[in-house]
Amino acid sequence: MTATVNRLSLNLRAMFGRSYPRVIGMQREPSWLFFETILPLLGIAAYVFIYKGFFLGLDADPAANERLNAMIGFVVIGGTMIAFWLNVLWSMASQLYWEKEMGNLALYMMAPMSRMALLAGMAVGGMFMTGTRAIVTLVAGIYVFGVVLTVTSPLLILAVFFVTLIALYGMGMMLASLYLLWGREAWHLSALMEEPIFLVSGFYFPAKALGQSIALGASIIPATLGLDALRQLLFPSKALSGIWILPPDTELAILLVLAVLFLFLARASLAYLEVLARREGRLTSRHQ
Amino acid sequence: MAYAIETKDLSRLFRRKLPLFKRRKSEGEPVGDTQALDKVDLQVNEGELFGLLGPNGAGKTTLIKILCTLLLPSSGYAAVAGHDVTKDPFPIRRQINMVSGGETSGYGLLTVRENVWMFSQFYGIPSKTAKDKIDELMKVFGLWDKRNEKVRGISTGQRQKMNMIRGFVTDPSILFLDEPTLGLDVNAARVIREYVHDWVKKQKGKTVLLTTHYMAEADLMCDRIAIINKGQVLACDTPENLKKKAGQDSTFRLEVDPLKQTEPFSAIAGVRNFSVNSDIVKNTMKLTFILSDESAVSDIMSSVMAQGAKIHSLQKTEPTLEDVFVAMCGRTLE
Amino acid sequence: MSSHLRTFRLAAWLGWEMESNWTEPWLFAIYSVIKPVAGAFILVVMYLSFTFIQPPTAGMEAANQARFNFIYVGNIFFIFVAATLFGTFQVIQADREWYQTIRYVYMSPIPFYTYIVGRAASKVAVATFAAVITLLFGIFFLGVRVSLDLAEVPIFLAALFLGLLCLVAIGVCLAALSFITAKHVHGLAEGIPGMFYLFCGVLFPLSVLPGWGQGVGKIIPLTYWFDLERRLILPPDTWNYVSTSLPTDNLYTLALLLVSTLAFYFLSILLFRLGEHLARKAGKIDMTTAY
Repeated sequence: MTATVNRLSLNLRAMFGRSYPRVIGMQREPSWLFFETILPLLGIAAYVFIYKGFFLGLDADPAANERLNAMIGFVVIGGTMIAFWLNVLWSMASQLYWEKEMGNLALYMMAPMSRMALLAGMAVGGMFMTGTRAIVTLVAGIYVFGVVLTVTSPLLILAVFFVTLIALYGMGMMLASLYLLWGREAWHLSALMEEPIFLVSGFYFPAKALGQSIALGASIIPATLGLDALRQLLFPSKALSGIWILPPDTELAILLVLAVLFLFLARASLAYLEVLARREGRLTSRHQ
Repeated sequence: MAYAIETKDLSRLFRRKLPLFKRRKSEGEPVGDTQALDKVDLQVNEGELFGLLGPNGAGKTTLIKILCTLLLPSSGYAAVAGHDVTKDPFPIRRQINMVSGGETSGYGLLTVRENVWMFSQFYGIPSKTAKDKIDELMKVFGLWDKRNEKVRGISTGQRQKMNMIRGFVTDPSILFLDEPTLGLDVNAARVIREYVHDWVKKQKGKTVLLTTHYMAEADLMCDRIAIINKGQVLACDTPENLKKKAGQDSTFRLEVDPLKQTEPFSAIAGVRNFSVNSDIVKNTMKLTFILSDESAVSDIMSSVMAQGAKIHSLQKTEPTLEDVFVAMCGRTLE
Repeated sequence: MSSHLRTFRLAAWLGWEMESNWTEPWLFAIYSVIKPVAGAFILVVMYLSFTFIQPPTAGMEAANQARFNFIYVGNIFFIFVAATLFGTFQVIQADREWYQTIRYVYMSPIPFYTYIVGRAASKVAVATFAAVITLLFGIFFLGVRVSLDLAEVPIFLAALFLGLLCLVAIGVCLAALSFITAKHVHGLAEGIPGMFYLFCGVLFPLSVLPGWGQGVGKIIPLTYWFDLERRLILPPDTWNYVSTSLPTDNLYTLALLLVSTLAFYFLSILLFRLGEHLARKAGKIDMTTAY
């Protein structure tokens, strides 16, 4: 019991320690406020205008107007979730690559803390920045583009959101383990996981538009089901039925399973790939 | 008896991965695998300040990485604080720390104090304890005035002091120092050496494994020294004993005009080993000979003069650790 | 001049090595294609979503095809924007934060501006490859229709060249900014192209934007670049269904592009010198800001 408490105390301190540079960094280099909040809105606005631009003058058709409102709402919600996905990819998964380049990784690996505590610290530390970006995107998106949402089950919405986040970050930890072994290959893999994931997970449109089979296959990425469930709960209109993958309750259950699975896999892959990296001497080799 | 550090037949081979489409080989491109460590046997006692001397590429850093659990050996056995580095790294990590010369770890955005504090948290040290210890060490190492300075604004030497503080703040049982005084001025280097020495000698259960290029540093600080070259330990003894062994040989130093060939010296009977250094400023060559037979001096001088070169100076010296090194490795420690 | 050429060649070589030598050539080729094609597919699916919003009525096929061609071809040229901008402004941050070589490069006797442009050249080369693949994919698998008169090839190439120069100049302006800002490469990488995505009529006609948005778009030279290249490549009947509210005279647009490219070029030199001066004054040339 004492050993467990000691380990818990160690890992909590490690998590706090690693989150500290992120928190302080945001205060000392406030330029992120512009780069991480205002600029991303522009990209989302471009996608919104695609829909708006080709369907001007739909006022006479309320059903079409309702669908247009929903599609724009999908873009806004997708844009909100992008904040977290990019944080997972670049501020957690590939962070170990930067740490290796800076010479910190060796010191981290030598320390007795859990690797997941280290990664969790990065996630927690960056959460304020990511959260700010997400909230600004959501609020600005709703007010600027006049999206009409219907919040029917707030608890379920929160549950879906948080479970999706946990599953996403678990996946990020799993990806982070690749960086113990790889160098630039993993960095490019992260780069490759932007547009293709935006596509198959339906960040800007309902994932089912790609077909049910593809959407189900893409559900291994937590954002797919998370977005689908959130959109169902925020746009519950019957006019939109038929575009969802699964009912939101089912999607929440699957997300829970994914969350546990990814956290477990993250732990296993971090341990395994660390051994591999030690065997191949890659923990300390820079500019791979 | 339990050793602080123990290795048996420790070897490490780095395999070179060839590209699928082989590129044009350029001159100097390495071929084949690299045997970084070759059946290394070492025992470091608890409470010892142990030195590891060797030229660049000898395997010192590879050995330290294995002992710090950053690298797995290809074969053999290594244990730190009684735990196998391969099978049981976690308990080792609780008891060790490492400081490298020229280290650039940390975050430029944080202050000196914040950086060290952050690393202390990875070892589970309560914040207050860590902060008190950091403050104490900052005063010892002369970094107190810079405690609130951002790391990106401090000098290389100050950064190295910060790294040293990071190494000591966790109060490890075993500390690995890989050229720790690199980049430090004479005074700062002296402070560190004294601190390290006192830390080992005045506290029970502290061990230091030190690698250095500064012979004088090793001679002064270390209880025992291992000389390593091309992945093999050539000798391991106290500095005095090593010098005594070298004292059985004579050391001669010559300063001559630049020579076209130095290979003929190896063939002279009585020459155990020699090293060559060029002095570009003076346009001369400095030769150090370790001789088992002093009569070889005349043959050496004849060989120099046969090449039309002048002898500027010749002196016989008392054996130093550098001479031991030259005798074993055939070169000086660059 | 020879110093500039030498620096450009060397930097281009370095950029290419860094860009490509992390994996086997065939894998690199696949990687270079997947990202832009996936980006294009997002638009394809969004286009299919139009039919969900408003099911097509009879006779709308031509209009829908025209709109799809408009979006798809716009996106192809946007590949250059994202790659060139990112490739230019991340040079300083990469050399400063990751490789920590900036101080050695900066203090060497090379024109640093040219060095940055050279480093970006590899990204432009990869973007060209990706753009061609995406266009061919669209033509053969997605029914995208293009039509380019032989007589218009010179103006097309001239516009392409000017557009790339303009992009590089804009990228250097951003690089000047990165001299004095923290490591926010991905925020910039996403945000700045996003601005062009919105205001340059890449995916929708400029006329869709509110008046002030159109005003912003008309100041940005890339707006004319997209418009000109699209007008040269797309079938003439496209413009029966899509109206951009921009000038339709190709030579006039090309002249506008030339003038604005020159203006951005001089602006980039000014901003670059300013950013460099401020960074030197504050000792930030080789600062590290990662956290």
